[in-house]
Amino acid sequence: MLELESLTVAAGDFRLRDVNLRVSPGECHAVLGPSGSGKSTLLDAVLGVRAPERGRIRLDGEDLLALPIERRGLGYVPQRLALFPHLTVRDNLAYSARARGIRPAEFRLPVERLVEATGLGALLDRWPDTLSGGERQRVGLVRALASQPRLVLLDEPFTALNESLRRELWWLLRELREQRGLTVLLVTHDLTEAYFLADRISILLDGRVVQQGDKESVYGRPAAPEVAHFLGVETLQLGRIIAAKDGLVMVEVGRAQLTALAPNGATEHVLVSIRGEDVTLLRDGAAETSSARNRLAARVVAVRPGSPLLCVELDAGFPLFAFITRPACEDLELRPGERVTACIKAPAVHLIPQSAPRGTVGPSR
Amino acid sequence: MNLRRTTTVAALAVLALYGGLILSLGWFLDASVLRSAVQSERTFFSVRLSLLAATVAASLALLLAIPAAYALSRYRFRGRELVDTLLEFPIIVSPAALGAMLLIFFNNPLGEWLQDHLLRFVFAFAGIVLAQFLTILGVSVRLLKTSFDEVPGELETVARTLGATPRHAFFTIALPLVRRGLIAAFILAWAKALGEFGATIMVAGTMALRTETLPVAIFMRLASADIEGTVALILVLVSIGLAALYATRRLLGRA
Repeated sequence: MLELESLTVAAGDFRLRDVNLRVSPGECHAVLGPSGSGKSTLLDAVLGVRAPERGRIRLDGEDLLALPIERRGLGYVPQRLALFPHLTVRDNLAYSARARGIRPAEFRLPVERLVEATGLGALLDRWPDTLSGGERQRVGLVRALASQPRLVLLDEPFTALNESLRRELWWLLRELREQRGLTVLLVTHDLTEAYFLADRISILLDGRVVQQGDKESVYGRPAAPEVAHFLGVETLQLGRIIAAKDGLVMVEVGRAQLTALAPNGATEHVLVSIRGEDVTLLRDGAAETSSARNRLAARVVAVRPGSPLLCVELDAGFPLFAFITRPACEDLELRPGERVTACIKAPAVHLIPQSAPRGTVGPSR
Repeated sequence: MNLRRTTTVAALAVLALYGGLILSLGWFLDASVLRSAVQSERTFFSVRLSLLAATVAASLALLLAIPAAYALSRYRFRGRELVDTLLEFPIIVSPAALGAMLLIFFNNPLGEWLQDHLLRFVFAFAGIVLAQFLTILGVSVRLLKTSFDEVPGELETVARTLGATPRHAFFTIALPLVRRGLIAAFILAWAKALGEFGATIMVAGTMALRTETLPVAIFMRLASADIEGTVALILVLVSIGLAALYATRRLLGRA
């Protein structure tokens, strides 16, 4: 288990402030934030490259700050992998054994299994600069795992790869995690990557962890406007709670009213956050098939091309954005000016408490 | 003229200038003088002395330059800026001034004590090596620092997460990766030491069969208005230097 306690790290003018984070054994925790948010600084502190000003870092109860890098028991896969260019794949993979003076015979079996599982067998005598992007990635990963680390640190591990290769490696990493019970701290700016790989997510903005929790709650229920912006929530509108009953509230947004789950804390003003994939569109006059509490009469403003989903901009009394598949868009014959019904379940309407109304918050896309 | 042609002409101009200079020796070349110069005991001594001193000086310079360059490249420490600034100092003050400073140093009490109790430098082989060593040290550090700068520190960080101590990471990652820079630095240091004149003559003087390196021998021949002898010795120095450079280039090309 990795524990960061009130960790404050200075890096030039930048400061990572008061980070608390805990990664349980076998868990993958993603630190998600834009570039410049302090992800690398956080990683540097855990690695031992940069000494923190304050705070503690413990791994399995042991104080990491008292240990040099080589005795921290970490497996590190940096963004650019840092394969040793003057060593073959085999020697890259065997580096940790040699560095620790382990005899090759004791070392061979665990690595052979890894090599087999990742399909690196045919590449052992190759030089790193002759490998493809995906192959290099595997070598970096296996090299880190070969040292039997207590904690695996991944820095934007797969961002340089094309989409299908990325997915392939995500699955590989997931498999390896399950088989070997790896504890992983992942640092990335890519929401999709974090959502796929991680169990829990910490959102890091401007040197501070602004939200932490299991990935579904962070993704679906951003705690602050800047988190919602960073996560790219499609619909973000100011609203006002006008009634509350049985854990549900009625929110006035623009000319419309929405039912939502009551937010934590008593506030009148809220930021209404709705994910594009939580909005279902029905053709006006279509049979009642939705159990959603919110059924809004809406007009199509525009259909924006996108992949894999199209984004439909609606006027539902307030600007509302819905994701839709291409066939569904054709079936519904969505064109600007057409009337549709937008359905949103109450739990999908997430309310972020606001101290006071501060003008209109525009949609993030 | 297009860029390719202009730049190629510039490159060939370099050849013309140096090559022309070497060829122009032919005007005063006297085969019998060359033969007797090459065969003379005194020339043979100078050649041996020059090769030995340059090799020792270049080796010692690299031995100190490698760790120094690594520290300058990797660590921030007090005095780092000062070291960095002083690297070009020998080039700026000229070898002659550097040699003069050395001579002056060996005349102060500390210098005299060192000479009396440790090693004689003035008018001695050690003086030649020391003069050459100091002339080439700065530029060796500069070259090697550039090489170490090109090796990403991340490689050593990864090596350390894999269990390597800083020392082990240095010897297995950083050092092998600057191998080419190391060879290049050695060649340049060695060549510069071989041709070194100003500092050498200041410290070691011009004693035939004792401290007379090839460049010093050339100076002595010219000083006695022996043009043919000068030309002969220059040709000897040019041949040795170019042969050595060519050999190491070939070696490097294969590496």
